[in-house]
Amino acid sequence: MITTTTTTPLEGAVRKLPCLRSVARRNPNLTYRSFGLLRRRYKFRQLHVSASAASSSPSLVDDNPKLGPGSLGHVTRPDFPILLQEINGSKLVYLDNAATSQKPTAVIKALQNYYEAYNSNVHRGIHYLSAKATDEYESARKKVANFVNADQAREIIFTRNATEAINLVAYSWGLSNLNPGDEIITTIAEHHSAIVPWQIVAQKTRAVLRFVNLTEDEVPDVGQLRDSLSRRTKLLVMHHVSNMLASVLPMDEVISWAHDVGAKVLVDACQSVPHMVVDVKNLATDFLVGSSHKMCGPTGVGFLYGKTEILCGMPPFLGGGEMIADVYLDHSTYAEPPSRFEAGTPAIGEAIGLGAAIDYLTEIGMQQIHDYEMELGSYLYDRLSSVSDVRIYGPSPSRTVKRAALCSFNVKDVHPTDIATFLDQQHGVAIRSGHHCAQPLHRHLGISSSARASLHFYNTKDDVDRFIDALKDTINFFTSFK
Amino acid sequence: MHSSSNFKHLSLPLTISCVPTKSSPQFNPKIHLLKKPSSFLTISLTPTKPNPQICSKNPIFFSSSSRTKRLGLSSISCLIMEEASLDERLSVVDKVKCLSLEFRSLSEPIDRVKRLLHYASILPPLCESAKVQGNRVLGCTTQVWLEVRMDSRGSMKFTVDSDSEITKGFCSCLMWVLDGAEPEEILSVTAEDLADMNVGLPKKGRSRVNTWHNVLFSMQNRTQDCIQERKRALSLDDLHSLVIRPHAHSGGPSGDGSYVESEVGV
Repeated sequence: MITTTTTTPLEGAVRKLPCLRSVARRNPNLTYRSFGLLRRRYKFRQLHVSASAASSSPSLVDDNPKLGPGSLGHVTRPDFPILLQEINGSKLVYLDNAATSQKPTAVIKALQNYYEAYNSNVHRGIHYLSAKATDEYESARKKVANFVNADQAREIIFTRNATEAINLVAYSWGLSNLNPGDEIITTIAEHHSAIVPWQIVAQKTRAVLRFVNLTEDEVPDVGQLRDSLSRRTKLLVMHHVSNMLASVLPMDEVISWAHDVGAKVLVDACQSVPHMVVDVKNLATDFLVGSSHKMCGPTGVGFLYGKTEILCGMPPFLGGGEMIADVYLDHSTYAEPPSRFEAGTPAIGEAIGLGAAIDYLTEIGMQQIHDYEMELGSYLYDRLSSVSDVRIYGPSPSRTVKRAALCSFNVKDVHPTDIATFLDQQHGVAIRSGHHCAQPLHRHLGISSSARASLHFYNTKDDVDRFIDALKDTINFFTSFK
Repeated sequence: MHSSSNFKHLSLPLTISCVPTKSSPQFNPKIHLLKKPSSFLTISLTPTKPNPQICSKNPIFFSSSSRTKRLGLSSISCLIMEEASLDERLSVVDKVKCLSLEFRSLSEPIDRVKRLLHYASILPPLCESAKVQGNRVLGCTTQVWLEVRMDSRGSMKFTVDSDSEITKGFCSCLMWVLDGAEPEEILSVTAEDLADMNVGLPKKGRSRVNTWHNVLFSMQNRTQDCIQERKRALSLDDLHSLVIRPHAHSGGPSGDGSYVESEVGV
């Protein structure tokens, strides 16, 4: 297991939080930023400096990597107003971040500001509002490009979500490049959105869809994958981080193996982009998809990264306005990417909101987020594995094997949906139950469903403690009914 | 548990058993349901003794809510499905209202869960051979298996089970309401009718986790299938009777086709 957490030059530039004054001077247009957020961080920093005089250059969490008061979770939590409520009489503990993340005030304000101040259609009008909306929309595209270290903003295509981004590649690249007997290789641990489109395309093109199994350690078997690659392999579709197993795949190696046989690679980065540095140039991937709502942005928008030369050779996915150059009655010519793949009016406000989310994440620093989540994720794993009759799926963590900050698990003789229901009703703890859109993986593991607790950087050690206490109570409750 | 002296003003009195509450253990009210032509429910309160069988088997304590207080139902909670006599005497609409009332009276979410677990415990298990893919209710986060058939009188018979105890509780409630009902009654129930019985789940609308909706929807779909199947079977019988009519003068039941006609109209 190798994690790909290389710090990009961009990342390095923003890792350390500057003081309030310098932030404001550096970016005078940062009107949507929460002043409260900056002030709190500033206060935190001041307190921290006074408490540790030995540190000459303190930053937000560099000197506080652990989980106590002042952790990243404690500092950022006030930025998420939704977390400050009670559910069913208990303080909300939100541990369903792999399904969707919460939104900081900065993102909510960016959305509100768009609709209040410059709501207009993009790329069409010459009036002020349209020009402003177009600028902000395209600025969001640049932010996404920078965030994943793409060469150019036009390598980023906005979609409704990651599912649509995968379908775009399937229907556009897949239908025009796959032939009978060609192979698409993926794993049994993929999200349904990375399986079903390829089943459809394989059926249409008579290509062969092949699946890589798990190792005994419950990690997708990259050894088997390597052995499966051949000149017949035209596409490799793989997740970066598993939404169920918490495994982190060595995608840079895998991608280089695929390229050696001439195959293209699509990386499902929905569970990695929100939690770690992801660098498309470093990975050398051909396609990569991400989802706004999992990275503190709004729902209704996702993105596809594609190498320029590949995108330029792909036919349109959907027809309509925006994606054309000229339309005649008998034929049309198509715009260049990214417009070619963005038919119709896009989710403008949502894309701008995604840009605000990226600003927010970037300001904290993805490496800091990753480091903190590793600490908190380990704590979650340790505490959960100490609860009797609990079975956690995925690899056991070690010095060489790192897990993402989530745990899918089952409790002996208690259905995960009953657990999730009771945690919510009695303790205000939000976790997920079900198959997590990974039915083939669940079948392979011999189960129909599981419970899942998944963390984000605004969670705290206290959240984990409350979850574990609530889980113990839940188990006792159901055991008493037997 | 019946107390007929309390019903002198009711045309069709029904009693629902109760359990003691935490806040008022000495006061054990009863709900009397008056079945009027419009299926309107009238509620009155009468002190009574707790049902020792229920209490000893499964002590459940409930507290009141502002909503129940407004309704004059403070500290009321009834195990309506325990009352066997109700089964025969209430229509589907009445049963839905009774269950709705019962669950509304449980203000604490944990009490709803406990109630569902209790109802799960009284649901007869489905035999393992029936837990096959063809009987799965699709769309639930838990596994639910449902068998549906129409009996000879045209009433619908259901058997249902789940691997989740809470879901089994939902199913038990649906069984109590719908098992043995006429197809038209079953098709008339909407997910909204069951909204008050949800346990912290979306009140209305379709959801992957809305077991009420998915199981009800499946029961209704398969009821429709049974209706169609019966119509087809009866049409075939009708056709068959027409074909064999020249030979049916011996006086068989299908000789004049009237039996078939009346069955189709069920």
